[in-house]
Amino acid sequence: MSIELAVSATGLVKRFGNRRVVDGVDIAVPKGMIYGVLGPNGAGKTTTLRMLLGIIEPDEGERTLLGNPRPREVSDQVGYLPEERGLYPSMKTTQAIAFMGALRGLDWRTGRTRATQLMEAAGLGHATDQKIRKLSKGMAQLVQLLGSVVHQPDLLVLDEPFSGLDPVNQERLEKLILAERDRGATVLFSTHVMAHAERLCDRLAIIAGGKVRFEGTVADARATLPFKAHYVPHHPNDGIRALLPADSTPEGDGWRFTLPDEGIEGTLVKLIDAGYGISGLSIERPSLHDVFVRIVGAKAIAESEAAEAEGRA
Amino acid sequence: MSSLARLIRQTMTIARRDFVATVFTPTFLLFLFAPLMMVGFGAVGGGAAMSITKSGDDKARIVVLAGGDQARVAVAADRQLRRMFRPIEQPARLIVERPGVNPEAQARAMFERKESDTYAVMYGPLDKPQILHSKNGTRSADYLAALADQVMRAQRAGTSAPLSEATKIVVTRAGSTAGGHGQAAFFAVTALFMISLLLAGQVVGTMAEERSNKVIEVLAAAVPLESVFFGKLVGMFGVALLFLGFWGTVVVNVGSLLPAKLATAFIDVGPAVGLPMFGLLFVAYFVTSYMLLGAVFLGLGAQASTQRELQMMSLPITIFQVAMWGMASATALEPDSWLATAAAAFPFSSPFAMVARAANAPELWPHAVALIWQALWVAITVTIAARLFRRGVLQSGSPRLRLRKKAAA
Repeated sequence: MSIELAVSATGLVKRFGNRRVVDGVDIAVPKGMIYGVLGPNGAGKTTTLRMLLGIIEPDEGERTLLGNPRPREVSDQVGYLPEERGLYPSMKTTQAIAFMGALRGLDWRTGRTRATQLMEAAGLGHATDQKIRKLSKGMAQLVQLLGSVVHQPDLLVLDEPFSGLDPVNQERLEKLILAERDRGATVLFSTHVMAHAERLCDRLAIIAGGKVRFEGTVADARATLPFKAHYVPHHPNDGIRALLPADSTPEGDGWRFTLPDEGIEGTLVKLIDAGYGISGLSIERPSLHDVFVRIVGAKAIAESEAAEAEGRA
Repeated sequence: MSSLARLIRQTMTIARRDFVATVFTPTFLLFLFAPLMMVGFGAVGGGAAMSITKSGDDKARIVVLAGGDQARVAVAADRQLRRMFRPIEQPARLIVERPGVNPEAQARAMFERKESDTYAVMYGPLDKPQILHSKNGTRSADYLAALADQVMRAQRAGTSAPLSEATKIVVTRAGSTAGGHGQAAFFAVTALFMISLLLAGQVVGTMAEERSNKVIEVLAAAVPLESVFFGKLVGMFGVALLFLGFWGTVVVNVGSLLPAKLATAFIDVGPAVGLPMFGLLFVAYFVTSYMLLGAVFLGLGAQASTQRELQMMSLPITIFQVAMWGMASATALEPDSWLATAAAAFPFSSPFAMVARAANAPELWPHAVALIWQALWVAITVTIAARLFRRGVLQSGSPRLRLRKKAAA
């Protein structure tokens, strides 16, 4: 049985000058899922999203949005929160939300009614009549997000939605994303903060240097790295190093090492027999952050950030 | 929903936002009353007054129907009398014509001639002359009466009593005068210029708001940039219509509000095609001039990424507009010159020149040709400007351009 895709792209390429900002990206986002696009700054996430939405045209490659190769033709079924937030400061919050709905084909009256309902549901009921210029940055960001869902889109695309939000608003946003998925919408969002992706994503892609380096579920991503063990001896001394696996590194009062393929039991028996004892032992699943650092590489992260800085200059 | 219906709906959403954002602000009142300030400055007013006066003076005349010695004496007396007036107060040029069988009918017919503006005509014996004059020709009639008296005095030297008793009759013209057409042309060109100057100033900076608030990305994702482009044009066009409606109502009713003496000064001002047709043509030319200039300015304005760049752009844009106005207002004074033809043919001055022509000449077919010509240029300009706009806003070429590049490769 084939999976129905909300977004698919093959071989997307975008050059700015001589630089290939996006270099052959393939993405397949199944319908009804929360899909994360992860990557360091300047990895090409925003450019990829803009190409998927048809805001800019790719230099090479094909993409379909909700089954349509012309993304513009389905724009009424899409909600979008750009990385650079923008609202008209002189508009009232409900007007701004209704306006964003009207751009996507929702009539103004319904837009205003839904805007009030959405604001109340998001805990912003007290600000329904306020002008945008009077809101805090976080609140304005939430209002813009509500504007991107007011027309109840089939696909919601969020570019770095958590940046600039305090923890309370981050939690509100997470709830809203989950609610949208529960409503049946597909959510595609980019981030470089792993914690959100880990909590929310059904599937994800890790992009670096304009290329997709990994695609799969969070569990698939974690499976690319072995489990780690953290062992704290009861009677430590210098001779213990010889009994531990080769990749062991000291950490605090103990040692950290990769869980051996044959299991940890043999190592523990040797340590106990030698009289080191066990004061503490934990087996740790690799985090998405570990996977991200391993896949992207500290060097690539540094290179991406340098390239971004060069681009800005 | 069809693509066109969708495009129109998206365009109207942008237009509505822009219209509301422009009109429902206190600063819109400043914008609305800006023409008053401009008039107040007097620079335009002074120039206009001089041009209007010149336009009328060229064709203004007073006439004496006389023959033989009487004509010769009248011309000599006119030469003497004129010396008593300062240059600015000089009466209209004196023309002497031989009287026909029916001098009264001959005199009345002179007021209806289109090639000249006759203010007063004197006929009959000079001791009891008949003087016909237009409503705003009272001064001319007084002058002719003084002229008759001067001639009689020259013939009967040595008396100080009035020797001539003139009978003055006011003549009502069937239409406006040739000078009045020129004046109407100048008013129309100036009005069109002022409206387009004010509105183009608004249009050129209209993208600045979206850029500074970063709303452009939201718009670009939701609707085609062509909708943003047309929405902004249409939104400002709505503002323009409001502006035009307000000032049109003021101008139409201003006659009834003016003091009688002042109103008389405008009595001969009128367009050659007639007022209702002129109104229609004015609106049509306003639409084309707005679309032509507005599209170019919107496209250029989208290239500016900072307020400073926008300000730098405003100067050449204003100079361009003033040049168009200068060219068209010159044609208002000389409707048959080569400059008038050139101004009518050049797309960006064509609406100005043709509105002047509507005031100066009664033929309608040139307007049909001009409107088709201008509509063609509106289509060309809007297409190019929309592409410029897209590239300026997104720094990204259109798909069509990319295909061409590929084909070339």
